[in-house]
Amino acid sequence: MQGTRLVGRALWGRLLRNRSFVIGALLVLLMIAVALAADWLTPFDPLKSNVRARLAAPSAAHWFGTDHFGRDILSRVMIGARISLAIGAFTAILAGIAGTLSGAIAGYFYHLDQPIMRIMDALMAFPSIVLAMVVSAVLGASLTNVVIALAIATTPHTARIVRASVLLEKEQEYIAAARSIGVGEWTILFRHVLRNVAGPLIVRLTYVFAIAVLAEAALSFVGAGPPPPAASFGSIIAQGRDFMREAPWITVFPGLAIIACVLGLNLLGDGLRDVLDPRLKF
Amino acid sequence: MGHFLIRRLAGAFLVLVLVSLMSFALIWLVPGDPAAAFLDASATPEQVAKLRSALGLDLSLPQQMLGWYGRILSGDLGQSILLNRSVTAALVERLPVTLSLAALALAFAVFFGVAAGIIAAVNHNRWPDQAVMTTALLGLSVPDFWLGLVMVLVFAVSLGWLPSGGFTPFMESPGQWLRGMILPALTLGLVQVGFIARMARASMLDTLGQDYVRTADAKGLAKLHVVLRHALPNAMIPILTVIGIVSGALLGGAVIVEQVFSIPGIGRLIVGAIASRDFPVLQGGLLFLAVVYLAINLVVDILYAVVDPRVRLA
Amino acid sequence: MAKHIIFGAALAAALMLGGAQGALAQRKGGDVVIGISQAPPSLDAQITSAQASRNITLHIFETLYARDENAKPVPELAEGVTISPDGKTYVFPIRKDVTFHNGKKLDAADVVASLERYRKIGASPALVAAIDTIKASGEHEVTVTLKEPQSTFLDNLSSPRAPIAIYPASEAAKEAGKIEVIGTGPYKFVEYKPDSHVKLTRYDGYAPNPKGTGRDGFAGKKEAFLDTVTFRFMPEGGARTAALEAGQIQFNETVDGPTAKRLGTDNRFTIHKVMPFGLQVIKFNQAQAPANDVNFRLAVQAALDMEEIMAISYADIYQMDPSWLYPGAAFHSAVGSDKYNKSDIKLAKELLAKSSYKGGKVTFITDNLRPNVDTATLVQQKLKEIGVEVDIAVSDWPTVSKIGFTPTGWTFWTHGFGIEPYEGPGSVMAPWVNGLSQQAKDPEIDRIAAAFNAEMDEGKRKALFDAFQKHMYDAAVAMKAGNYGVFQASTAKLKNFKPYRIPRMWGVWLEP
Repeated sequence: MQGTRLVGRALWGRLLRNRSFVIGALLVLLMIAVALAADWLTPFDPLKSNVRARLAAPSAAHWFGTDHFGRDILSRVMIGARISLAIGAFTAILAGIAGTLSGAIAGYFYHLDQPIMRIMDALMAFPSIVLAMVVSAVLGASLTNVVIALAIATTPHTARIVRASVLLEKEQEYIAAARSIGVGEWTILFRHVLRNVAGPLIVRLTYVFAIAVLAEAALSFVGAGPPPPAASFGSIIAQGRDFMREAPWITVFPGLAIIACVLGLNLLGDGLRDVLDPRLKF
Repeated sequence: MGHFLIRRLAGAFLVLVLVSLMSFALIWLVPGDPAAAFLDASATPEQVAKLRSALGLDLSLPQQMLGWYGRILSGDLGQSILLNRSVTAALVERLPVTLSLAALALAFAVFFGVAAGIIAAVNHNRWPDQAVMTTALLGLSVPDFWLGLVMVLVFAVSLGWLPSGGFTPFMESPGQWLRGMILPALTLGLVQVGFIARMARASMLDTLGQDYVRTADAKGLAKLHVVLRHALPNAMIPILTVIGIVSGALLGGAVIVEQVFSIPGIGRLIVGAIASRDFPVLQGGLLFLAVVYLAINLVVDILYAVVDPRVRLA
Repeated sequence: MAKHIIFGAALAAALMLGGAQGALAQRKGGDVVIGISQAPPSLDAQITSAQASRNITLHIFETLYARDENAKPVPELAEGVTISPDGKTYVFPIRKDVTFHNGKKLDAADVVASLERYRKIGASPALVAAIDTIKASGEHEVTVTLKEPQSTFLDNLSSPRAPIAIYPASEAAKEAGKIEVIGTGPYKFVEYKPDSHVKLTRYDGYAPNPKGTGRDGFAGKKEAFLDTVTFRFMPEGGARTAALEAGQIQFNETVDGPTAKRLGTDNRFTIHKVMPFGLQVIKFNQAQAPANDVNFRLAVQAALDMEEIMAISYADIYQMDPSWLYPGAAFHSAVGSDKYNKSDIKLAKELLAKSSYKGGKVTFITDNLRPNVDTATLVQQKLKEIGVEVDIAVSDWPTVSKIGFTPTGWTFWTHGFGIEPYEGPGSVMAPWVNGLSQQAKDPEIDRIAAAFNAEMDEGKRKALFDAFQKHMYDAAVAMKAGNYGVFQASTAKLKNFKPYRIPRMWGVWLEP
């Protein structure tokens, strides 16, 4: 017990010395703070239309301008952070669960390896945005379905990473030792093997989070994103693109918010990778 | 090697079967009717049904499935419901468009990505390294469609340098073709520049640390010579793998970029087919993209196995 | 004979007018590229009622009768018609001067084959449902007999909805979507590149209707000056505008209000208003709770601020109008205006309290067209004020149109009614007959519509339509938000363009 705490403290120390991690974490924490406090921070009701203030350029009252409903873009971007981050987080959780289960089972049980991984390969063979669009057409556009679509698109690669780690781990001596004293296979898998897969998995899921924020925006762009009144980053951009020329602020500001968010997550992922999974190089 | 090849090909075949099954399954998973695209809002369900049978869409599922496999086994992807031509013809028409877009984007991404990666690696942990890596990461964090929209706003609308969209066939006017392709290819390639730059840097750092490079360095050979003649060829192996991955990503990215710039490529064909429920095109297009992706990966894997014998055992 | 003299005078007048203009500017040649938002599902005009197809096919194909500028049916490929006293036999003499794009002369066999094909696979079968037999009664004469007299038969025959286009008999023998695109219109088909464009070229063998007096709706004289017309499919509104500004296209089929305002101040461009183009309609699903309850529907009707909906969904291009017909139509009426556009939250809450609605979410379905999504968003926002919770489900058109004709899965559905009011009062009523669009039979509407179709007296027909409109408001069968129009933009070099239901490229020319 003492040992794990020491290891934990050492890891934490290395993370805090990692510039990528620190900058990324700060950016992401800032986004999360905005998302959580959006109800108090928003200067206007992000859903309330105002016919008289339509397509207003950025000003002292509306820092990021307004859209064609007269809704305040800054307020919508703040609420958008909540929705986009939620989509990203839930996608990461779902892809994490599905990817870990399928990857671990494929890696650990030899006879299940082929069937599971070939299905994952088949899913990966479709461009993920097309896969997500088709899933969205099948299930209909809603917040939940967007998450499901993105999770289906990001699970295969996650499963591959988990499988690779499990394959390495199960050859370790302590596993053979555990088996020899009669510990069950599932117990070994979930108690011991998976614990050691955590590093690469956390790194991967950070990237999945980033990918999901980007992909949500792309889905909204092709008309398969979360329905109104949800103001995700992607849906704000999608609604503004008809007025791209007259009111570029509707498109530009949420785009910048996406960049900040994804950049933060990527930096965070890089930092985590340097420390948790030094085998990976890029 | 023979054993590896057989195993790899068998795996690919299995995936192909799964992919064809998934492509087919879309028919009964996706709601909506291709006939709806022909009719306006006051079309009654009876009218839709009538048009369905006029278009020959009222086959039962087993009939359709039999038709699907019968056709793809003989290399025929069927007839488009809306485009008045075979799916194969529609794909062949778009292929040069998407391929040339992807090729331009790839060339752009590889050139700048590898160059940036080398600069970063040679200047390891100094400011050029950090500048390149930060830019690369920024590139990875930009939504491609948004970048496309902003590029149109800046370069097409405000500055008027380049067309905002559309496509001119190369045969018609090579100059116009290139002008039209610059913004889409930049948009598509930029994200991959970041990806390749990161990979190239890592790979170069690896080889630059190897003994023979140090020896060459110690012999006093010019730095540039060492990097380009000795380190780069060895670093290219992992970079090649990444190019395989990137090619797949470019096909996916092309779907969005073709939409932004109104380019009649395979991506727009498929997006259009989803919207209009032109199932033969959707199925055929998906199958086609998947086969291309599988083929690229198969080739990369085999090349890799040829170069690095350890892979064959994995 | 006297008729011919009048015609001649009109023709001379038209020629003089045209001549005066022509001396100054009329000019043959030039290429126009039109940016359109959607690709046509098919160029087989008979089998599709999609606007995108109509835009193109009505340049290529013609019909026996066509609608004039005021949407009245006038002869086009027919020279006229003789109707028997019992109203059941229509004899159409066919024009002898018409040649198809493939060089074949038009004759009765082509007309018969085309009408028969439409009866089999036409996209609006109701248009020809009254027909009993179609026969060639001469080389240039076609006789159609009806099962029952139908006062709207010529209206139907000339409807542009899914046009009853006349094909050469050889093409009319082909299956849906398998024809060669050969018509008699002022432009002929060159090529169709999917996801890219349709290209047409001027048909120099076009024979203008000798009775036509200049450009007149879908009928009249269709003088083509342009060498080619290309319809380029550009789904992105921003991309269409950018292309117009960069000179890549000469005509933008539809632009948003703010864009139109900006382009209007630039003398390189001309803005055209097609007004009105459609009614924004919000439908109720009356097959299930809560919209099966008239008080719920009345509450929603009372609550909505239609002006806000129109002002945001169709910025700068809408009219507030309670009528289910376009202004200027013979039966246009203000009946029901006391219940239209009230935005009366207090009344709405009272009505809602009387209804069976006791909370819970209701679903608003819409396709992903921006004005429709905007309408749904504003309805959702307004209904929240009276305590009705609305979920918006956005899907693409095939999914929405499938759900919207079933009795479950939706409470509200919004979309435009464009062609129905153009066709006339009968077409406006038809969607509500038999409970088709509201998913529950409404005996009152069925009674009015049946009486209307049998009635020949104009005065009584008007009274019946008023009764229909009154019922639409009194029972809140469905709601009309307002009339919307469409902004179109073209290069200022495009001369003599006149907005209509499609961007007509006849009668227009390009200045160098």
